Amino acid sequence: MENNQKTPILRAQNVEIKFDLRGKILTAVRGASIELYEGETLAIVGESGSGKSVFTKSFIGMLDKNGKVTGGQVFFRDEDMMKYTTEAEWLKVRGKRIAMVFQDPMTSLNPVRTIGEQIAEVIIWHFKVSHAEAKKETIEILKKVGIPNAETRYHQYPHEFSGGMRQRVVIAAAIACRPEIMICDEPTTALDVTVQAQIIQLIRDLQKELNMSVIYITHDLGVVANVAEKVAVMYAGQIVECGTVHEIFHEPVHPYTKALLRSLPQLGIRGHELYSIKGTPPNLFKEIKGDAFAPRNPDAMDIDFEEEPPVFQVSPTHYAKTWLLHPYAKEYAAQIQERDRKRSEEAAAKPVDAFDYSNAEKLLEIKNLSVSFKARGGKFKAVDNVSFDIYKGETLSLVGESGSGKTTIGRAIMRIYDKVEGDIFFDGEKITGKQTKQKMKELHMKMQMFFQDPMASLNERAKVDYIISEGLHNYHLFDHEKGRKEKVANIMREVGLSPDFASRFPHEFSGGQRQRIGIARSLVMEPEFVVADEPISALDVSIRAQIINLLNRLRQERDLTYLFIAHDLSVVRFISDRIAVITKGKIVELADCDELFAHPLHPYTKALLSAIPYPDPDVAGRNELLTYDPSMHDYDVDGPVWEEIVPGHYILGNQKELDGYRRELGL
Amino acid sequence: MSQQNEKKITLDPVKFRAAVFDHMRSEDTGYSNYSYWKSTFRTFFKSKAVCALVILICGIILMSFLYPVFSDVDPTKRSLIFMDWNQKPSETHWFGTDQLGRDIWARAWYGARNSFLLGFCIALSDVGIGMIVGALWGYNRKMDPVMIELYNVMTNIPSTVYLVLLAYIMNTSFLTLFISMASRGWIVEARFFRNRILSIRDSEYNIASKCLGTSMWKIVTKNIIPHIISLIIMEAALCIPYSIGSEVFLGFVGVGMPVDAITLGNIVNQGRASFTQHPYQMLLPAAILCIITIAFYIIGNKFADASDPRNHV
Amino acid sequence: MAKYIGKRALRSLLTVSIVFVAVFMLLRFMPLEGYFSDEMIKEADEATRMSYLRNLGLLDHPLVQLGRFVKNLFQGELGRSLTVYPKVPILTLLKEKIPVTAAFGLVSMILGIVFGLSLGLIMVKSQNHFGDHMGNMFILVIRAVPSILYLFVIQVYVSAWLDVPMLFYDNRPNSWILPAISLSLGSVAWYALWLRRFMVDEQNQDYVKFAQVKGLSRSAVQRKHIFRNAIIPLVIYLPSDLLLIISGSLVIETLYSIPGTGGLLTTAIKNQDNNLVQILVLMYAVLSVLGVFLGDLLIAFVDPRIKLTQKED
Repeated sequence: MENNQKTPILRAQNVEIKFDLRGKILTAVRGASIELYEGETLAIVGESGSGKSVFTKSFIGMLDKNGKVTGGQVFFRDEDMMKYTTEAEWLKVRGKRIAMVFQDPMTSLNPVRTIGEQIAEVIIWHFKVSHAEAKKETIEILKKVGIPNAETRYHQYPHEFSGGMRQRVVIAAAIACRPEIMICDEPTTALDVTVQAQIIQLIRDLQKELNMSVIYITHDLGVVANVAEKVAVMYAGQIVECGTVHEIFHEPVHPYTKALLRSLPQLGIRGHELYSIKGTPPNLFKEIKGDAFAPRNPDAMDIDFEEEPPVFQVSPTHYAKTWLLHPYAKEYAAQIQERDRKRSEEAAAKPVDAFDYSNAEKLLEIKNLSVSFKARGGKFKAVDNVSFDIYKGETLSLVGESGSGKTTIGRAIMRIYDKVEGDIFFDGEKITGKQTKQKMKELHMKMQMFFQDPMASLNERAKVDYIISEGLHNYHLFDHEKGRKEKVANIMREVGLSPDFASRFPHEFSGGQRQRIGIARSLVMEPEFVVADEPISALDVSIRAQIINLLNRLRQERDLTYLFIAHDLSVVRFISDRIAVITKGKIVELADCDELFAHPLHPYTKALLSAIPYPDPDVAGRNELLTYDPSMHDYDVDGPVWEEIVPGHYILGNQKELDGYRRELGL
Repeated sequence: MSQQNEKKITLDPVKFRAAVFDHMRSEDTGYSNYSYWKSTFRTFFKSKAVCALVILICGIILMSFLYPVFSDVDPTKRSLIFMDWNQKPSETHWFGTDQLGRDIWARAWYGARNSFLLGFCIALSDVGIGMIVGALWGYNRKMDPVMIELYNVMTNIPSTVYLVLLAYIMNTSFLTLFISMASRGWIVEARFFRNRILSIRDSEYNIASKCLGTSMWKIVTKNIIPHIISLIIMEAALCIPYSIGSEVFLGFVGVGMPVDAITLGNIVNQGRASFTQHPYQMLLPAAILCIITIAFYIIGNKFADASDPRNHV
Repeated sequence: MAKYIGKRALRSLLTVSIVFVAVFMLLRFMPLEGYFSDEMIKEADEATRMSYLRNLGLLDHPLVQLGRFVKNLFQGELGRSLTVYPKVPILTLLKEKIPVTAAFGLVSMILGIVFGLSLGLIMVKSQNHFGDHMGNMFILVIRAVPSILYLFVIQVYVSAWLDVPMLFYDNRPNSWILPAISLSLGSVAWYALWLRRFMVDEQNQDYVKFAQVKGLSRSAVQRKHIFRNAIIPLVIYLPSDLLLIISGSLVIETLYSIPGTGGLLTTAIKNQDNNLVQILVLMYAVLSVLGVFLGDLLIAFVDPRIKLTQKED
């Protein structure tokens, strides 16, 4: 190990990458440097557009056609790969010695070729072996990545595999040649939490077994804490801080790293404002002067706006690019540190008031709701006999993985579907079935929805002004044009947007800003109840806290009730009063937030909790990863019932299971 | 990794203190003022060839509509003097004369006007009806079996059947040609638009509109059509070469417009008969015809490219 | 799967029936005069004409005529031509004409696939360079210019250039070259256009990038992944193409005087040869519906993602 420390296996120096986007030059990577040592896992963290993906793609010569490395060197075992000019030179490295895994397993495999062929072709290509040999080897690798029945699976097509299994296949193809380095580009972002945990585990195991070096690209600090030994934080095309995972999580020095860690919802305290990073990531089309993060850093110094900071060494393994480490800034840095320490002490000291259910009113009652869709000739039950209540003023979170039916419930409440089974009552009145026009208007005003994807939820062809006032137009909620404009301006200010933006098209805004436009569009109707359908999951880490704070503030100021739909239990913990866990169209457990985390009963809830990547390297990986197999329930004879096992804690199970749960609670 | 900044810069200790936080600056995404249509047209007209084609086609359209108004040359005027027949292109007859002594230059412009009229009518009816039916079809799953059957049936009945039949009922004319050509065009367009509408019907912004109580009509006109309008324009542009081609074809088969009607199809088909002796009689009007069809074809396709936001600057 | 095929077959049968009945009924709207030859109009009196019509069964109620036709059809009796080839059994007629047309069709289809796919590949390889531009020009001309114009120009000029006959002769193989090549031009352009488009689409897919990341060379990726996937959507049209080669090309068969089926339908419609029209429409409808059906089966066979149980879109 000591020997290796001296010569890194991969060393990138001052890499600069530019893209030509129809005459405009975008500098995606602005002089980034990293070192990767043998057998270690280096995580590169950054938000979208930080250049992390492009940076690593240059290590295998896979930049898009319009991209070019315009500066710097990348040494792979003392050979500067940036000097490669022909494809043949790259082919000796690419796939064979440096492999890569992409983000979306659903699209990384050729849909019309068997997965076996796609792995075997790498082996045949690089080692020039016979088909039979390659097949034998492929089956071995498939077994290694945890695919059962590898012999039969070999002949199957990608669509016959689930997302997690497909990612295993992709990893199998990547390790087929026993590469020295494996680059994983957000390999779990498109996967469910429980599957994500398994894939992370797999990558860790393979890294040890094959003694590979792994570069793990992600935006998720929770994942970083779980996989990495070293972490490089990337911002606006530069590595701003790099160190061991403990140094980064416990002694961050760069303002961006610090802010990123502080703004994590997982670490927030319910009822308190989350620390949030202001503003939006910089535009890399423009030339950046000084420290790229300075405009968003409230503690920035004058020098940050003028000169680019050099690299300062903090410890042998830890360095950062910030002027705060300059001797001149010693005093100022100490001030900031002292203030931050005080602040966090204050925050911890404040009591957290839980939601009081003793005299809460029911706002929404959902009784035996089922929604089915036509699919492939048959019927597919997306939501299966679900019942729960939502109280006035609370935030109820509905947590489940993709395809669990959580969004369908939200949309059913919003009456998007023509036909649902069961009843929904709002304020005691039935809202399912046909309604009068007046009633529809009332409901449209009282109930609103926030959407997940800020890119897809705004009409690109309409100006912000039209988008926000769409509801006002529909029901003529204004007396005159001036009044409408005022309403739009007010609501924009409320969500933190300048009213000047009203005349622009959504295209011009960043994800977080677009999300706020979407929120304004719903809020202008002055609703009492909002279905928030994963409003933060498509956003960058640095933006999430802003939106969460906004949602919390609106809830307090406007007395809103939320149904918060999410797939990430850790985020939900920070904002919800109660949590319902849903899987395969059925709600399996519903309880107070703290109760659920303290006493999870249903095996699915437990599996979900064990899979959360916690953003702290000391905690990470300590919990045993639990798996949930629906076939463990024996519901043939003894059907499941929805039972309130202790006041406020509901669970789905048959009598035998319920008895078990009671025993667990010590009743 | 500890390479210090090579550049020697003199640092001022005063600069190492808190700067003023500017909220607007932090929100600056630096995007220019973008508008979909502006960018579409900018991208469209960026190519010089496209600019030239658009100018050319505008000129031809203008010419074909103005020529019959301002020119006193009668395109149907036959000459009884042998000398006037089959004249080669000259200063008096730019495109020469045909075997009856008619001026081909004049005939070409009259023909172009009629062909344009036919093309515009076809474009209007195919795309117009197609879009309305396509929108209804896209929003109504129950129409599926009926419409698919109708599509299969319509596309399998030869349009010559209508044409000949209609010709018996009301003599071959502009109208019969139009009806027989438009009879199946609309359903092809309807299917095309239905597929496009299906692909954006359930996108989140349409669900958002539904949550706000926006009426179906407004969703279609404000949310759906602006997203497919570029396709509508492209399809309409491609209708012109299609209809001109069909007209030539029907003339060739002998079921087109009456012989004495002046259309590009008739002129070209008549020119073909005397091609071996007098090639100019066909080639010159055919050149105008080809310029028109090729220009519309290119413009339609280039516009579709330009309207794709991925190609925007 | 058997259930699905059965269902599809029934629906196809329905489509064919509707097409046929519609055309059958439309033909009954034709004026009676149309059934007479020129001599009959000149010479025969009213009574002779009526008895002529009665003998042909044309005066019966259309539904009776339909019933009779269907009955005959099931007995294998296709009837005789009325006006185009008076009294010649249609079966004999088809037996004589189809082989000629089909031979040309088959050759040109093979040419179309071979040269079309090659051109498409060349265009992809030289994307946005010379070869691509030339290919695009070719496609543009073939698709935008009315086929009669370029086919005619080829016939006149290329035949002189190659020194081959301008018309088709049964016994002179060198007279077969030009029509076969002309016939294939459309499909060459079609295959080239779509192969290029699909390959360019596939190029941007993640799995192609992943294949490159695996270390495969550009050409290996193109061969093993891009081409293979891009060809799949084209496969769906193969059966239709193959079946409909017997319908021939009206323009080419007319230009080169090939005694094939190309112009038969239009001639029959123009001459109101009901029996012939009915048989031809029925035949073409069966072939085209069958072609679509077989195309769907074939694609399910080639593309593992598509299962036959899936609902048709």
